[in-house]
Amino acid sequence: MGLVRRDQQPAEVSETPAVETLLRQLGDPDPDRRREAALGLDGVAEAVPDLLARVGPETASTVRDALLTTLAAHDTDEVAEALAVHLASDEADLRTLVAEALATMPGSVPAIVPRLLQDPDHDVRVMTAMVLADLPHPGALTWLADMIREDPHPNVVTAAIDALLPSLGPEHTELLRDAVGRFPDDPFLRFTVEAAVG
Amino acid sequence: MTQNRPKVLVVDDAATVRLYHTKLLGDAGFEVAEAANGLEAVEAAMSTAFDLFVVDVNMPKMNGYTCVETLRSETVGTPAPILMISTEDRAGDADRAYAAGANLYLVKPVDAERLARVARMLTSGVAA
Repeated sequence: MGLVRRDQQPAEVSETPAVETLLRQLGDPDPDRRREAALGLDGVAEAVPDLLARVGPETASTVRDALLTTLAAHDTDEVAEALAVHLASDEADLRTLVAEALATMPGSVPAIVPRLLQDPDHDVRVMTAMVLADLPHPGALTWLADMIREDPHPNVVTAAIDALLPSLGPEHTELLRDAVGRFPDDPFLRFTVEAAVG
Repeated sequence: MTQNRPKVLVVDDAATVRLYHTKLLGDAGFEVAEAANGLEAVEAAMSTAFDLFVVDVNMPKMNGYTCVETLRSETVGTPAPILMISTEDRAGDADRAYAAGANLYLVKPVDAERLARVARMLTSGVAA
């Protein structure tokens, strides 16, 4: 075979898509493309409003997960405030993923915890206990103790006790026994405390 | 149903809840296994024929509704009754549970007598 002259092909270059392209891609019908866009916008501050706007309407769990991972990395007051709204969502998938994301935001979440602890919806307070269970912040244990001591709903108190369990010490014994005294008719709370402190 | 004690899988990320439901159901005569999340539950269901699943709603990795949908999917296809128990009583939660394939939805706390009664009804094929 004779030599064949070929036009020189440019080397294949992997280029990161422009931010505008990725923002448009957030609305792509293909969930894989939306997920790719959400992850590609990691660290892009100007994309935060668009990413936040996508969290609620998004239906694919993998895309939601990507959106929340990218947003949580910003760990700003704007993101924490906007995500916390979803703790009251009727969708279990959304509220659980949001709780997991908020638990990775120790820079901004502490500022909204006092308000969450006073939320009139006890289900939001239950989710707040889930956030505090994993929040790497020195105030987390104190807030959980406050919930156990003061929250009027037994399910919130048991959620807080469960969150506190890995860090439970002798100093918490009186706190837990007092909680049983506040809800003497709640069998699960009594069982939980007895299992924890004997 | 198994020849001896009916087998129940308790699925909950909260260790205290698993312990509580395991004790109540064990005292009521059930053989109880535990899973800490939906993925563990699906794995367990693919290797063991359970007679009843007791599933929480809010769990990491795979929430309760998705867990129930997967248990009812062709991949797993369990015919066993599923009882969902949640700390939350939002409007629509029960509907969501039934749509996913649960047989009954209860809100915590569920006392010992009620849980045992419901578990017996579900495992004996009596509609709750």
